Amino acid sequence: MPHQCVHCSKVYEDGSDAVLKGCKDCGSRFFFYLSHEKLEKIRSSGKERLNLTSAEKKQIEEDVRDIVGVEEEDAPIVMDFESVKVIKPGKYLLDIGNLFNKERPLVYKLEDGKYIVDLIGSMQRGKKGV
Amino acid sequence: MIRIIKSWSKRVLNSLFGRKDNIKLGFYGPPNAGKTSLANIICKDWTGEEIGSVSDVPHETRSVQVKEKVEIEHKGKKLTFKIADTPGIATKIDYEDFLKFKMKKKAAKKRAKEATQGIIESIKWLDDMDAIIVVLDATENPYSQVNITVVGNIAAKEKPVLIIANKIDLKKANVKTIEAAFPEYEVVGISAKKKKNIDDFYEALFRLSKKV
Repeated sequence: MPHQCVHCSKVYEDGSDAVLKGCKDCGSRFFFYLSHEKLEKIRSSGKERLNLTSAEKKQIEEDVRDIVGVEEEDAPIVMDFESVKVIKPGKYLLDIGNLFNKERPLVYKLEDGKYIVDLIGSMQRGKKGV
Repeated sequence: MIRIIKSWSKRVLNSLFGRKDNIKLGFYGPPNAGKTSLANIICKDWTGEEIGSVSDVPHETRSVQVKEKVEIEHKGKKLTFKIADTPGIATKIDYEDFLKFKMKKKAAKKRAKEATQGIIESIKWLDDMDAIIVVLDATENPYSQVNITVVGNIAAKEKPVLIIANKIDLKKANVKTIEAAFPEYEVVGISAKKKKNIDDFYEALFRLSKKV
């Protein structure tokens, strides 16, 4: 699935190993999940850069690591705007319906010191009740 | 010896009637509805200690607070609860909302981050709960996205629910609107601040416990 590096905005079109090994351009392990529609939009508009300063990106990464409780700096994190959207540091939008409907944990341990944080909406199941 | 026999017979009777003794009771709802105020009344009444601090600034409870073995006696019946007071669930958290309460920017951003963390934690705890008290502010419109999503998702998990319409001491409070919004649930109007109708709450809590 497509991802975008939060720090340098590089886009990866498939489940690239960059998520685990770090961005090929800047080494960051902090990504946004991109839906295929979003990827198309980015591609057609040619606007890949995120509208955030590098200090804001750094702060957002620190906050997200805190929020999901991952202390290891090199643990990969893939953010998904469908569950928790960080607009700026200190400004969050939560899709609580999506959070309620997740049966899988938010943090997966891959191996010692390696976690993947799943805030990904691609696994969203059919919403119940609401 | 008598105590051992009593405890044994209680366990046998409970298992015979399928009643759970240590009922995990979760307090859920939007921020500033009075979840902690109500949980504090219960904990103070039956354990002598409060469960958490209360504030006018939203998102005062930012991690799940638990009180174990809260034994409540009502009309000669006794039940033991594990009470979990959860952070208020919201869809938007903005540190600028806290600045109005004369909070410094850095502290406000920290509060926003912790509140977000708290919401994720609240939702994770839901599966572990036996029964849910949804605390709503009776002065607010009950048809908000948060209320509908919270109640709908709890219902989808087939947990027994009791809805508390808090702040009935205020003029704007309207319990009937809450009843109309959630007709399939029992709604009890209370004022946690003025300790009004708390007996009705205990009555409803014991009714709720039968559904566990």
